[in-house]
Amino acid sequence: MKRLVLSAVLAVSMLAAPVMASDTIRLGTEGAYAPYNYFDDSGKIAGYEIDLGNAICKKAGLTCEWVVNEWDSIIPNLIAGNYDGIMAGMSITDERKKTINFSDEYYPVAPSLYAAAAGHKVDLSALKGKKIGVQGATVQAAFAEQHYAADNTILSFETFDQSVADLMAGNIDVLLADGDPLTSVVEGSKGALVFVGDGVAIGGGVAIGLRKKDVELAKKLNSALAALKSDGTVDKLIKKYFEKGPFYSK
Amino acid sequence: MLESVITQITQWLGEDAGASLAYITNGKHMAWYASVRYTLIAAVGGAVCAVLFGLTGAALKQSSFLPFKWIGDFYTTIVRGVPDVLFILFFPLAFEKTVEFVLARFTCSSESLAVATGWPPCDAAQWYLRTGDYLTMACVSLGIVYGAFAANVIHGAMQAVPKGQLEAASAYGFTPKQVFWRFRVRQMWIYALPGLSNVWMLLLKATSLLSLLQIADIVQWAGRLGSANYFPGVGLVHPDWRWKYYFVLFLFFILMTMLSERFFEMLQRRASRGMALVESN
Repeated sequence: MKRLVLSAVLAVSMLAAPVMASDTIRLGTEGAYAPYNYFDDSGKIAGYEIDLGNAICKKAGLTCEWVVNEWDSIIPNLIAGNYDGIMAGMSITDERKKTINFSDEYYPVAPSLYAAAAGHKVDLSALKGKKIGVQGATVQAAFAEQHYAADNTILSFETFDQSVADLMAGNIDVLLADGDPLTSVVEGSKGALVFVGDGVAIGGGVAIGLRKKDVELAKKLNSALAALKSDGTVDKLIKKYFEKGPFYSK
Repeated sequence: MLESVITQITQWLGEDAGASLAYITNGKHMAWYASVRYTLIAAVGGAVCAVLFGLTGAALKQSSFLPFKWIGDFYTTIVRGVPDVLFILFFPLAFEKTVEFVLARFTCSSESLAVATGWPPCDAAQWYLRTGDYLTMACVSLGIVYGAFAANVIHGAMQAVPKGQLEAASAYGFTPKQVFWRFRVRQMWIYALPGLSNVWMLLLKATSLLSLLQIADIVQWAGRLGSANYFPGVGLVHPDWRWKYYFVLFLFFILMTMLSERFFEMLQRRASRGMALVESN
């Protein structure tokens, strides 16, 4: 009986195993990193990367399909083949280059910023015995681990939202995060949160993460991206989602 | 239809009530309400699998052929000891790898197998898992885990069927198979139902783990909706509201528990019809 059920399940799933059409690519994103990617009011995935990804696919003559995946397993699941590319605000780093390939960048390097609760004194030049929050598996996490781990406690969170919630709740002294999402948080916090010190530039620009073996796909996407950069589409989308830029056209 | 209701509410109760209603009925919230279907499918599918696994397990434990009995005992002992979280993570991954292994055997050319460094060895052996696939596997995982509990309950219930009934049936000339199905199994339900209702409650609670399999279920949507939003372009700007959304889930699960209790009471009444034994308890 048990064997029968198992083999029936096996048979059904073999039939169901979809054969990927050659011109469809699946893009993985997180859906929790506004304005890069998020769920809009209609409950659909939206954001800078969604618009840009769709534009790239259109230019390259591909059909895009979006897959929402948690951040901390987003690279393993790319390698496992659950999708073919990652567009999730992921910066180019040497560490990541060991496992995956990157397309050309589609968002320039933005400084990472520090935020703390208003009135909470934090001296960045002499951080000692503090609780520093980061999102796990990010460039900021690696940076904090390298520079602050000896004298401070590093707390890493699964999502960006959780790190902000814990900063609000006073569970961490200072939060180090990507500048763009953090700016929207600090501006929207109505004075509850403030920036501390100057930002630091960590990692490279934001790019599409790809499997190392998919060289053809990388070429295709890069030429589409280059075309969109030169015809101003990319800048128009940056303007729409980030307002202040930085832009690619001089 | 919805808009006119919102306008009405705004007229009666003011702007705030109207705005709140509009907010909790926007597409994002509708997606949350709709995601209840995954929970319900997983619960019902898991329960069906659990009963099948439970009956099989109990029959194996009951068997007089020793290897079968060992398999049954092994199943209930081992699987009951593994946390459900672990099983829901382990089973789909292991199953996916197995399917891909089999696919690779049949579809990959020997040259590509020889040079393959990653997994799967060739693209044709790649199995893309979608929500439906994950949901099916979640049902089977839940079925295997809670089937082990159900097997124990059913096994105990089979033992509780009065020996006299079975002996009388044999004496009337029923074959052992008929005695098993028409007397033991038919009568064991009244003893098994209270225990099975317990297993059902556990299974229902375990459906909150679906988000581990990248299924956008009610728990995942509650987290998404409740997360603080400071970006006006995304929607309503609000601080961390996750506790409110998780509280709604509390109420949902309590409601489901209450309905389940009613349902099992009804089943118990049905199963007890014409059974003299229950009255004496």
